[in-house]
Amino acid sequence: MEEQGHDKDQPAGMDAALWRGMTQKRFSRRQTLGMSGVGLASLILAACGSPSPSKPSAKAVGSSTWWQDQKLNHVVNFANWPYYIDLLAGKHPTLEHFTSTTGIKVNYFEVIQDNASFYQKIRPSLAAGQYSGYDIVVMTNNNPQLGYLMQLGWLIPLDHSMMTNYNKYAGPLIKSPSWDPGNKYTMAWQSGWTAVGYNNQQVKDPGTSIDILFNKKYAGKVGMLSDPFELGSAGLLAVGVEPASSTESDWAKAAKKLKQQKSDGIVAAYYDQSYIQHLKNGDIIVSMCYSGDIFQADLNSNYKDLTLMLPEEGAMLWTDNMCIPKYSQNPLDAMKLMDYFYDPQVQSVVEYYNDYICPVPAAKQELLHPTGWNKAALASLTPSVGLPTSVTANSNIVFPTPARIKASKGYYNFTDQAEIDAWNNLFLPIIQGA
Amino acid sequence: MSSPRPHGARRKGLAPYLLSLPAGLWLLLLFVVPLLIMLSITLKTCSPASGACVMTWQWGELPRVVNQYRSQFVTSLVFAFVATLVDLVISFPIAYWIAFYGGRRKNFFLIMLLVPFFVSFIIRTLVWQFILSNNGVVLSFLRGNHLVPSSFHVLGTGLAVVAGLAYNYLPFTALPLYVALERIDRRVLNAANDLYATRRVTFLRVILPLAIPGVFAAFLLTFIPAFGDYVNQEILGGTANTMIGTVIQNLFLIDSDYAGGASLSAVLLVISLLGIWLYARLLGSRTIEEYL
Repeated sequence: MEEQGHDKDQPAGMDAALWRGMTQKRFSRRQTLGMSGVGLASLILAACGSPSPSKPSAKAVGSSTWWQDQKLNHVVNFANWPYYIDLLAGKHPTLEHFTSTTGIKVNYFEVIQDNASFYQKIRPSLAAGQYSGYDIVVMTNNNPQLGYLMQLGWLIPLDHSMMTNYNKYAGPLIKSPSWDPGNKYTMAWQSGWTAVGYNNQQVKDPGTSIDILFNKKYAGKVGMLSDPFELGSAGLLAVGVEPASSTESDWAKAAKKLKQQKSDGIVAAYYDQSYIQHLKNGDIIVSMCYSGDIFQADLNSNYKDLTLMLPEEGAMLWTDNMCIPKYSQNPLDAMKLMDYFYDPQVQSVVEYYNDYICPVPAAKQELLHPTGWNKAALASLTPSVGLPTSVTANSNIVFPTPARIKASKGYYNFTDQAEIDAWNNLFLPIIQGA
Repeated sequence: MSSPRPHGARRKGLAPYLLSLPAGLWLLLLFVVPLLIMLSITLKTCSPASGACVMTWQWGELPRVVNQYRSQFVTSLVFAFVATLVDLVISFPIAYWIAFYGGRRKNFFLIMLLVPFFVSFIIRTLVWQFILSNNGVVLSFLRGNHLVPSSFHVLGTGLAVVAGLAYNYLPFTALPLYVALERIDRRVLNAANDLYATRRVTFLRVILPLAIPGVFAAFLLTFIPAFGDYVNQEILGGTANTMIGTVIQNLFLIDSDYAGGASLSAVLLVISLLGIWLYARLLGSRTIEEYL
């Protein structure tokens, strides 16, 4: 029943990336009167008598006894970002295989255009103590919304007894990550870099530096991301500061650099996911980008002009995380599906299409030498992907070396709402335009 | 004779109120109440995390956002005004021609005018994005024939936004104009002719004055939605031409800044009401009913 409402979120037949463009760009987020927003929220929750998420109770949501009471409903509603799962003739082979082996129907919705606006969509239900309509949502670790969900007790702690594939195959990059120690609430979907993409026909001497984004030679043809955390981090890298260990005065320096870039007319626009369409259309020739998008486009024979560059200053490394929002109606089905993706055979099919950083290192061997049902699935995907599976398997973008991971940069970890507000007050006015 | 009179008078006195009750309730529940809720939100403080709002009676939000987003207000006013003028210039001849020379096929021509608008607003605007993109049909052709410099682009400029607004709101201008021109009594034109008025004089001194309420209605019907529009700016605009509708949309849907968004919406509402008030003062409230 729930799925009917969500179809309206996205007009039929419309390019998902373009639809993403409809809900983009952030504007000034006002200060909450010096009060920490998260703290304020929990005060209100407490005042309303909402059950505290950490309250010890025999049947607390997410406890082992609670999990034992759950039953399979043979349906799961999965909200994800567009172009993020294997696709063949309008169907998703990995999801089809899951349904045929478990009998659990997967309703897959490509409704997440960015963290902030998607959070706004599910929040009213969660605040009212109701099912959000999704049993799995995918949130990025570089935005505050995943933290909000955890702090407000709006995620169901995972049942670790059901994470057999995860415990066996999850890679070190995403196992027990800093943003969710012990994987209490999340399992990674994919990771990726925010880097630089350019048109190799029009940019002849790209160099290896992030300075390319600030080069006056490309004035009016440079795309920047409208996510304030991405934009600010790029600014920090450009002024030679590690985002993870930056201070508020560094942020001001980065904001100044980005303001200059804008007033010099270098920036064409601040894009969300739609930047990839504009790169393909030629509206921009250099852009901040997400690694998988450009790698996908590069492999695709229609867009051979696009090249990915991981700048020498470092590329920002992020992870998208699957989690189960509170009041989920099918949590057991959701757990099964989440762990299913950690099967190397399954992950090999997802990755062959996706080209982001694979959370399952063992999928590499499955890409090179498929051992089961994935052999036929990979073969059927080959015509649309257009390249042998070995290219994906041997890519340093999909299965990066430890050295490359080490050279990547992490995002700044905000300690409270005041810091988030300070960051937003610096970077949102740049995105907002004048 | 005298006894039933008070009774009758009372019934007569109540009847209009009773008759307007459904509409009045509708207006109260679906307009006045939401409006008051929106105004009350401007005084609340909302958490970006939980979205919960508490009344803090902070009066600073309205001046703060109006000050912060002044340039976006100006941009919106200019864009909406220019787009409306463009629409008036384009649609007046169309409406005039249909009204005076459409003959028995008037309805057919009106439908032809509306056909593009059977397609969703967003899809139409997206198609313009494809048409006007740098590698799109138009610019490729112009550049290929060296009619424009190679750096010429349309997307991301104010021109693209104004063009999108003018295109999308054209029927809102054309239809009121048509109604105004269509209702002009042809005998008046004959009279002008009989009095030796040239066609130009007839147009300037008879047709145009009679069409003025239509022009004003067309102006309001186009200008007000264009002023608050955000779709065109989002899809066709760039960094330097953000409109106030985009700001409000983002404050509400992305930044959880409900107080700021509500404040800007209130200002937008006041500006729209000022336009209608001006109309009523200049042309009388009676003509509003005929077009709005």
